[in-house]
Amino acid sequence: MSAIDFSDPATIALLTDALTAAGVSGLEISRPGGQLRIVIETGNETRIDVTTTTQPASVVQPVVLKAPMAGHFCPGRSSRSAAADRLPRSVSAADILGFLRVGPILLPLCAGRAGILTKQLAEPDALVGFGDPLFEIEPQS
Amino acid sequence: MIEIVETGPFNTVQDLGRPGYRDIGVSASGAMDPFAVRIGNILVGNEEGAAGIEVQTFPFSLRFDRRTVFAVTGADGDPILDALELLPWCAYTAEAGQVLQLKHPPTLARAYVCIGGGLDVPSVMGSRSTSLRGSFGGNAGRPLVKGDRIALGKSADIAPVPASGLAVIEPAVALRDVFPDLVDGTLPVRALPGGEHALFPDDGDAFWSQTWKISSRSDRTGYRLSGEPIKPTASIEMRSHGIVPGVIQVPPGGEPIVQMSDANTAGGYPKIAGVIECDLWRLGQARIGSRIRFVRSTHAEARAVEQAVARYVEDVRTTSEMVKRALRAMA
Repeated sequence: MSAIDFSDPATIALLTDALTAAGVSGLEISRPGGQLRIVIETGNETRIDVTTTTQPASVVQPVVLKAPMAGHFCPGRSSRSAAADRLPRSVSAADILGFLRVGPILLPLCAGRAGILTKQLAEPDALVGFGDPLFEIEPQS
Repeated sequence: MIEIVETGPFNTVQDLGRPGYRDIGVSASGAMDPFAVRIGNILVGNEEGAAGIEVQTFPFSLRFDRRTVFAVTGADGDPILDALELLPWCAYTAEAGQVLQLKHPPTLARAYVCIGGGLDVPSVMGSRSTSLRGSFGGNAGRPLVKGDRIALGKSADIAPVPASGLAVIEPAVALRDVFPDLVDGTLPVRALPGGEHALFPDDGDAFWSQTWKISSRSDRTGYRLSGEPIKPTASIEMRSHGIVPGVIQVPPGGEPIVQMSDANTAGGYPKIAGVIECDLWRLGQARIGSRIRFVRSTHAEARAVEQAVARYVEDVRTTSEMVKRALRAMA
């Protein structure tokens, strides 16, 4: 999943330049949060439409915690009981949700945000790669 | 610079010791759990032998006065940075002003605080260890007290520790095939028969077969054991001779003494056995009042344990550097 902000004027300008340079006549990107359409007109005229859809306030987009590098996925914190690792459960930003194991080295996986830990997206001891999804958290303010 | 905020007695600056001067009566000193010091130093990017703090009385706390990488190894229990519980055996970055606190560990005896750059106290005879008996080395040759401020060396590590920390599978877990677990709460300690082993009846059976308790008269110099006294078949007068950490002597009372890191340099009691060097860290983590049993070992087994430890240490070194480099490249 990309984190690029398509409503950012700098991003739109960059895309427009890239489309123009490539000789592409237009681009349309639709995402849950809105829609971007860039049409390259002949005679160097460009039309840009950005439509932002307002999300209902009650819908919170889950955040996916991804693997920062390749390693074996070790969910849970070894010193805690298995009961404490049940899903879903509340987590705080500093909570360690598990580790990536590389040989004898353990890389702690920190929740990074407070919320409800809803899903574990990889199997224990699975070999995961950079960017693979590991946990899903519904943020809470 | 770090400042000691709170400490019990007998917490000292230690490294891997000062070998080579026993002939002039200087004990080797050094950490009671040198394995923890080696791994802690590797995690924070130091040389294995950099000086850290051996904490054997709790609670203990220190304040960092600049951004510093540190790790707490050895004892179990979670260190606390300000109000946040951390993992043991894990390197973190502390910010200036943050306070690291160590509470009494649940089962083990000694925690080691290793800090990026090491503690920059003067090196005396090749070591920064505190010699309590000689009152030199470490921090002015004495245990740490509240208000002590200790300079830090320059950290050579170019790759930063990741924000969530960098941990290691601790030796007792990673090497569980090499270091047998406690049996009914009793720590098995491997030892080789010593110079006067033959003086004890039934091939030293009374020594090898009983469970000994580490008595309250135990410290960094030696552990006095409590149990059924063992007696040699004949009393002999011996000249004092050189001894090293791990030597198990039997004084006239019959309850053995195990020489530890601040071992005497000479002694005249009969030596029934010697703990293999690679098991000394486990003894260093055994608490007063806990039970141990000696297991008869061989030179071949001792060598095999030494090799397994060396492989683990090397694996931790190369893999931790690789992980730090990979994370930096992907940041």
